[in-house]
Amino acid sequence: MNADPYQVLGVAREASQDQIRAAYRKLAKKLHPDLNPGNKDAEERFKEVSGAYDLLGDAEKRARFDRGEIDAAGAERPRETYYRDFADSAGAAHEGARRYESAEGFADFADTDDILAELYGKVRGRGAKIRMRGPDLPFHLHVDFLEAVNGATRRLSLPDGSTLDVTIPPGIRDGQILRLKGKGRPGLGGGPPGDALIEIEIVPHPIFTRQGDDIRLELPVSLAEAVLGGRVEVPTPTGPVAMTIPKGSNSGTVLRIRGKGVAKRDGTRGDEYVTLRIMLPGKPDPALESFVAGWEAGRSFDPREREKA
Amino acid sequence: MLEFEEFCFRARLEGGTLEAWIAAGWLIPAGTEPRRAFSEADLARAQLIQDLTRDLGVNDEGVAVILDLIDQLHGLRRSLKSLSAALGSLPPEARATIQRQLGAARQ
Repeated sequence: MNADPYQVLGVAREASQDQIRAAYRKLAKKLHPDLNPGNKDAEERFKEVSGAYDLLGDAEKRARFDRGEIDAAGAERPRETYYRDFADSAGAAHEGARRYESAEGFADFADTDDILAELYGKVRGRGAKIRMRGPDLPFHLHVDFLEAVNGATRRLSLPDGSTLDVTIPPGIRDGQILRLKGKGRPGLGGGPPGDALIEIEIVPHPIFTRQGDDIRLELPVSLAEAVLGGRVEVPTPTGPVAMTIPKGSNSGTVLRIRGKGVAKRDGTRGDEYVTLRIMLPGKPDPALESFVAGWEAGRSFDPREREKA
Repeated sequence: MLEFEEFCFRARLEGGTLEAWIAAGWLIPAGTEPRRAFSEADLARAQLIQDLTRDLGVNDEGVAVILDLIDQLHGLRRSLKSLSAALGSLPPEARATIQRQLGAARQ
């Protein structure tokens, strides 16, 4: 402290007031603690420089100093706190400065990086200056075939450890994106949160396939059921139902069960189409063989007649 | 918290100047007229603005730019602080991995 103020400012003893002011400004711009929030030395140097300027910047005081009436310590400015002390502190002292803090310096990071997006959400904006909607949060969700047809509720685990209940509406399609409003990342400066975007992938079913709002199913039937007709049990997305197979049905015959397809928006359902496939018994049967061998009508019937024409 | 008059006195400011600073968004008092309140942080900020305008010869446009950059700087500093605190709480292997990555990114 108390060094020669001319040396502190780096000016000659005969410098003009303008030169002194210019020298001070040049130093102060580099050393002002608020322009150097991370540099602790800057404060000491700045105190020295502004003390010197306090003395030499005032022509009258300067003259008294030159005459030796006051010493270099006589004019030191008491200054204990700077804005950076509030802006940089934690706890209550910080509260007053917090409203000025801005996240614009890294606002663009939030689009690309998850960790910084987290931090970004935690820095509150300055007044009305930055008010931004939070980023959307994308998810990929595998849904069972029947859950997609009938609707379901699924619980998602979020990266932050919380959970999100997702209602899967009946009849949802593969690749469809569910938008859960306000379930994305938090907004900035009072801005609304983003949305959770959930892309649905439907896992195929072993026996059902889907065609729009209809369900298709291949149903094995016995020769007796096909020839004589009968009642069989057929699986549908909502459980098995009984169906009558008409007498004389064939492989490839398509039967329709109304209202057992995919749930629609209006509350009704599509249909289930059942394609019959005749299955002979696994083992050769002598009685069947001898019957077919002596069956004239069966021999004269040509199922490939159309292919020949 | 300080009231308007008291704040002007402590900051050695004219009431009109303070009003202009508030209008420019340089200072944001808590509460609304007529019950506006100022914190010690606002006082330090007013002192900074005075340093800029009076001692450093910065004009009004310059003050706006500098305040905006300082506010961004403090936002960045705080984020960097919480980031390094979070990194500091990681197990040593994870920190070593991050250090390697940082070294690679710098090249």
